[in-house]
Amino acid sequence: MPIEDVGVRRLAAGVDPSVANRLIFITTFIVLTFAVFAIRLFQLQVIEGEDLGNRARRNSVRTVRLEAPRGDIVDRFGRELATTRPAFGVQVMPSELRDRELTFAALGRLLDRDPSELSERVGTPKGRRRFQPVRIAKDLPYDLRTRVESHLYALPGVFTDVRPRRYYVGGSLAAHVLGHTGEIQLEQLETRSFADYRSGDVIGQAGVERRFESILRGRAGGRNVVVDVVGRIDEVLDEVEATPGGTVVLTIDRDLQRVAEEAFLPDVIGGEEKHGAVVVLDPRNGDILALVSRPTFDPNSFAGGIDSAIWKRLTESEGRPLQDRALAGQYPPASTYKVFVAAAGLEEGTIAPEDRVFCPGTFKLGRRTYRCWKRSGHGWVNLHEALARSCDVFFYQLGLKLGIDRMAFFANGFYLGRRTGIALGNESAGIVPTRAWKERRFGEVWLKGETVSASIGQGYNLTTPMQLAVAYAAIANGGTVFKPRILLRQTGPDGTLEQGPEPEALGKVPVSPEHLATLTRALEGVVYDEGGTGGRARIAGVRVAGKTGTAQVVHLKETEGLEEDEIPFKYRDHGWFVAFAPVEAPEIVVVALAEHGGHGGSAAGPIVNAILSRYFKSSMPEEPPRWPKASEEASRVVRN
Amino acid sequence: MFGIDRRLLQNFDWLLLLVVAAIVGAGIINLASATHVDDELTGEVRRQLLSLGVGGVAMVLVLAIDYRHLERFATPVLLVCIALLAATLVFAPIIRGSQSWLFGGRLQPSELAKLGLVIALARYFHYNPPGEIRRLRALVRPGLIVALPVGLIIMQRDMGVALLTLLIASTYLAFTRIPWRSWVGVAVVGVAALITLWMFALQPYQQRRILDVIDPGRDPLSSGYQAIQSRIAIGSGGLLGTGYRSGTQTQLRFLPTQHTDFAFSVLAEEWGFVGSCAMLSLYLILLLWGLRVTRTSKDGFGAMLSVGLVGTIFWPLALNIGMVLGLAPVIGVPLPLFSYGGSALVTSLVGFGLLMNISMRRYVF
Repeated sequence: MPIEDVGVRRLAAGVDPSVANRLIFITTFIVLTFAVFAIRLFQLQVIEGEDLGNRARRNSVRTVRLEAPRGDIVDRFGRELATTRPAFGVQVMPSELRDRELTFAALGRLLDRDPSELSERVGTPKGRRRFQPVRIAKDLPYDLRTRVESHLYALPGVFTDVRPRRYYVGGSLAAHVLGHTGEIQLEQLETRSFADYRSGDVIGQAGVERRFESILRGRAGGRNVVVDVVGRIDEVLDEVEATPGGTVVLTIDRDLQRVAEEAFLPDVIGGEEKHGAVVVLDPRNGDILALVSRPTFDPNSFAGGIDSAIWKRLTESEGRPLQDRALAGQYPPASTYKVFVAAAGLEEGTIAPEDRVFCPGTFKLGRRTYRCWKRSGHGWVNLHEALARSCDVFFYQLGLKLGIDRMAFFANGFYLGRRTGIALGNESAGIVPTRAWKERRFGEVWLKGETVSASIGQGYNLTTPMQLAVAYAAIANGGTVFKPRILLRQTGPDGTLEQGPEPEALGKVPVSPEHLATLTRALEGVVYDEGGTGGRARIAGVRVAGKTGTAQVVHLKETEGLEEDEIPFKYRDHGWFVAFAPVEAPEIVVVALAEHGGHGGSAAGPIVNAILSRYFKSSMPEEPPRWPKASEEASRVVRN
Repeated sequence: MFGIDRRLLQNFDWLLLLVVAAIVGAGIINLASATHVDDELTGEVRRQLLSLGVGGVAMVLVLAIDYRHLERFATPVLLVCIALLAATLVFAPIIRGSQSWLFGGRLQPSELAKLGLVIALARYFHYNPPGEIRRLRALVRPGLIVALPVGLIIMQRDMGVALLTLLIASTYLAFTRIPWRSWVGVAVVGVAALITLWMFALQPYQQRRILDVIDPGRDPLSSGYQAIQSRIAIGSGGLLGTGYRSGTQTQLRFLPTQHTDFAFSVLAEEWGFVGSCAMLSLYLILLLWGLRVTRTSKDGFGAMLSVGLVGTIFWPLALNIGMVLGLAPVIGVPLPLFSYGGSALVTSLVGFGLLMNISMRRYVF
């Protein structure tokens, strides 16, 4: 039997005498350990027992968490965009309520609330839940707070507390850039990157708040306190101070941002509030000066836990205010795309600046007729005139000569069709179609007619406003594609403001400087030439270059023969306007998109005009630069 | 020969069973107080009773089969444990910074691994008697047996359990005959190597990362708070205790994790010095009786296995009671047999099953 084999092998030895010897050593070790424990128990329970027992009966130690105030977000001139303010709340500790009815009646009177609702909110918890305070008010106005505080002496079990709360100074201003904060989600808690967070923590959930969470967060502290029976603090045992979050300085110019947002309001454009997006870049380094998406939302409504009604409105509204149209919205670039087709034509030698094409108002390919937007036609036009007047027929012919893949090569050279890498929220990649792309996507061959549509930025072409701004910035600065930059400075680990990342050039466009200059002259013609489509961007004293675009939302047939205001809103065209100035040394690129706004010149032009006017009226900020002393202000908030 | 042999019943170790039952029973009564809300049984008590049932059945199964068969299965058992640990790293979610639960929190493989490791080491030292080990070099192979599971537990970021597993394995060092000069050498070389590595080879961010692993985001304040509350609870128990379900610290939930890591504080508050000493005495009897099983066991495997099993009870007990009494740092190690926790209870009971198994077969040939 196997057992016998196993047993017999070492049986003769029995237990090794050396093992037995060492067992005495182990036994001694164990007995000594227990002796230490017994002595310690005697010391704690018998010698110090009475003292500690009194402490347990009379007092109790609690840990109070000291929330770290979140760092400020300021604009490029140090003006506050998001900060932290104290929010005063009222809590009720059910175990310590004396006269329930009277307390709630008084609270109802003090807070202007229904006493029975307050009483219901607190309920009559049993067991351990009796010792968990219930917040009955989160953010009291100053007068109510003083009213409550002056009556606290008569209301045992009722406390006020102060918590830092996110405050967006401009309300909805730059909401899509800043994003919002919210309680950490369960799924986030389970990932390793949030290992040192705990449930209930407030974190950046979108935009800059999310991207720069690690800088803004700070470190929570805590305080062990002895509280008496009524919950008042008797003694602070020890304390670890909260470290406030660092400051994030954005490239945004708050004034410009405000002007850009207000341009969508009814009084500037007339009629109803427009939907759309604006991107303002500095073409010299890719700095984002303003970034607008309309309709928008007020991130303050997320700060203290969002109301379900507001949340429902935000997510279910047809305008989808939470979507960032500037980064994630994809639209046909329409005529703004012509400049890239023109660049391809010049660079490939397909066309020379002086070559002329006749535009009779239509273009026939096979049995189909493609129309120019101007039904009467543009007559004989060269490249400059074709761009300035946005002649479609000229570009139909140029596009066909180039072929779809050559056009796509140059569009890609301007970084269209891929993400700019700005890493704020969900950025879309857009589409620059090629033969291979269509084969992959639909399994179909490319049709010539589709090249015609693509040459005027329609068909499959899709671009985000941000991509268009980056591409036009490359034309303006002589060919460098910059990665859009949002972070100018940040508080470093040692607590001082340090420079943010350097401007990052993604690459050079495959177009020579002379050809870019030719294109720039044509874009200036868009604004100043007779018959140019972009006259609305003219401002006093500065030379402006630009391009309009009118993106068809549906096929022409649907709306044929209707006057513009008869077309249902959702079928109306999107209006684009892209501009940069001053032409001789561009400092600013503006892309404006008015969703369903109709023609680019008339719908988006005034927005661009407002922004350029503001920018060149005062390149200096109105208020002097002011760096908030974040740590001081913020710590005042918590310590109260 | 299995189970039904009358001699086995005659030699059955009733004392061991009785003491284990007393501790587990006291643990459940204590758990009922620690989690007490209404007069109903709480979910924790019900789950612990269920684990006791599972553990009891497992214990009987372990008793029925002669432990000497286990020797042949030592390697497969260890491999299964390692596979489970590896699976945890792949599949388990991260809870409070560490990743140690499988099957939705029903199985903690690191608990099983402790047992598997002891069995594997017992087999190794059975064939390589530790009394003959006189040089450090001879520890390389058993060291490798230990390194694999401990490495995996470290990767789960469960530093407490990793340390515990190392301590349990170190029990066997007591039998080796390596001169103390060698140990001093090891200590000097080890410390010097660590310091050199820290100062010259590691970038500051790497150093921070290592510190993060050693202390995964544990709030220094929260462990200080636990220590204070635990001391107050124990002290307020006094000589005779506040009485069952009458400890203010316990019932008002000032004690954190009072049903797991700080279960002993609850006992100390409600039953006083007398109660705590009685409980410690039960554990002392258990451990000394375990060592008696080692001394009387009839073969090397039984001796090595039983001494390892004593280690699996002693080390967590020493760390836990040390922590609760404020003598050791706060690392989350539960008190074996007593604290709430299913995997731990089942493995402990299986361990005692093995111990009784060795004990009752001491005269059987």
